[in-house]
Amino acid sequence: MSTPIAAPRPLLRVTSVGVRRGGAVILHEVSLDVAPGEVLAVLGPNGAGKSTLLAAMGGGLKPSTGGIERSGRVATAMQSPDLARRSARANVEVALAWWGVPRRERRDRAAEALAAMHADHLADRPTVAMSGGERRRVHIARALALRPDVLLLDEPFAGLDGVSRGALLDDTASALRGGAGAVVFVVHDRAEAWALANRLVVLIEGRVAAEGPPREVLEAPPSAQVARFLGFTGELRDGAEIVLTRSSQVQLDPQGEITATVVRLIPLEDGARAELETPTGHLSAMVGYPGPNVGDAVRVRVETSVRFPLDHQYGEARG
Amino acid sequence: MTFIWRGLRQAWHLIVTGDPNLRHLTWITLDVAIVATVVAVAIGLPLGLALGLGRFRGRQAGIILANAGLGLPPVMVGLILALLMFPAAPLGRFHLLFTLHGVYIAQSLLSFPIIVALSCSAVRAVPPGLIEQARAFDAGRLQIWALAVREARVGILTAVIAAVGSALSEVGAVVLVGGNIYGNDQTLASATIFAVDQAQFGYAMAIGIILLGLILVVAAVLTLIQQGSGHRVRIRPPS
Repeated sequence: MSTPIAAPRPLLRVTSVGVRRGGAVILHEVSLDVAPGEVLAVLGPNGAGKSTLLAAMGGGLKPSTGGIERSGRVATAMQSPDLARRSARANVEVALAWWGVPRRERRDRAAEALAAMHADHLADRPTVAMSGGERRRVHIARALALRPDVLLLDEPFAGLDGVSRGALLDDTASALRGGAGAVVFVVHDRAEAWALANRLVVLIEGRVAAEGPPREVLEAPPSAQVARFLGFTGELRDGAEIVLTRSSQVQLDPQGEITATVVRLIPLEDGARAELETPTGHLSAMVGYPGPNVGDAVRVRVETSVRFPLDHQYGEARG
Repeated sequence: MTFIWRGLRQAWHLIVTGDPNLRHLTWITLDVAIVATVVAVAIGLPLGLALGLGRFRGRQAGIILANAGLGLPPVMVGLILALLMFPAAPLGRFHLLFTLHGVYIAQSLLSFPIIVALSCSAVRAVPPGLIEQARAFDAGRLQIWALAVREARVGILTAVIAAVGSALSEVGAVVLVGGNIYGNDQTLASATIFAVDQAQFGYAMAIGIILLGLILVVAAVLTLIQQGSGHRVRIRPPS
């Protein structure tokens, strides 16, 4: 007879949490567990309630309804990388002092965290002489050094240029994978979620609209609303269903079964995104140089797509 | 111009000869300034931090009161304290009137709102995100206060400079509470008044010039400390 293996006890359990502010409901009945070792991304459009959820999880905000159980210490790295006017090392060490780490351990832990974030060269530099990207690195290193059971990161890459963001994303991904605790981070950029998370929660209008491993959520979004948020910008009607596509799933192909007209070309680094009108809707497709011109008639092939039943009353996809 | 020139010559003479009266007045002046500033900082700084960082009912009213205290008329403070210190008044049993201890109290009361209002203003200028971040990392109240004091140290030292300056040059409350008694609680500023009353204008100028020099030296020392603890950025080139 085999003994069933018990699921690990969640470090953080959010049960039916609701938050109201000034009469408006920001979060509706949100429930989720955070397990040890998990890197959970909370993704959603602006105003979805992501930062509010994070604040409630961190204990900085009391939910109006529901409850949050914490079975370990939770640290929150706020969105703004505000640092004391001291060196990077001193900033990390003082955070360790706040956290209750004995003085003899602080220096080594600070050095380790700064190295993990490739910020060891900044250790003795005053923070007032750092760039925005460098401050972000020190800010994240300061949070990692605490080694909390659950680390909450609020928009850790906000306000960075593309190059700094890419480099910081890579280093943060490596550093987070080495941790034993769980990490929950809030982002509104999908690429950041794919790069860091092993589980994704999509929050829309204060509700959990999708949850699961990022690849699964992307391949099978549970609703048209989630699909649109995840970049399914193409939309065709097919009888009683609506077909949603991502631009990477649509190819210009002379043998393609759909005829379309190019109505707009948006230049990108490696080509352009073509906006296409079809008799049953609109699509977007990535095209290389030299691509078609605006007004050209083209044929396209849709490689994969997701379908949702059409709500006839509103002319919208249900779900 | 004659008085000024005579005053300068007399001041120089008093300094180079190490005049014992002058030394005593200078010592009393510094004593009052140091004690009053230390007491004002010890009580006023925590209050300034609480007003600047706290979230409690009445905080705004406290800030308004502290700011209003910056314009507190020294003569009124001296008069009220002197009345309270009369033998039959509530503070009479402590025998503070016309004593150095009474002057300490009067000057501490005048320095107190300076420390509260300016330190409150200084810590309110610390980025709120930094304070929130410290709270999110489980920092205790004293640790948050220590962080705020360190970040606002330039502004807090400005408050100390202002308090010391006020204590060195204050006359009204010192005369009313202390009685301007030479050898007991007379300071350089109140001695100037006394010299003018005696028509010793040259001597008054001399004391005044020495008082100005003392204020300049004390302010310079505190300013150097302030600037030394400020935001100088030294970046070493990579080796």
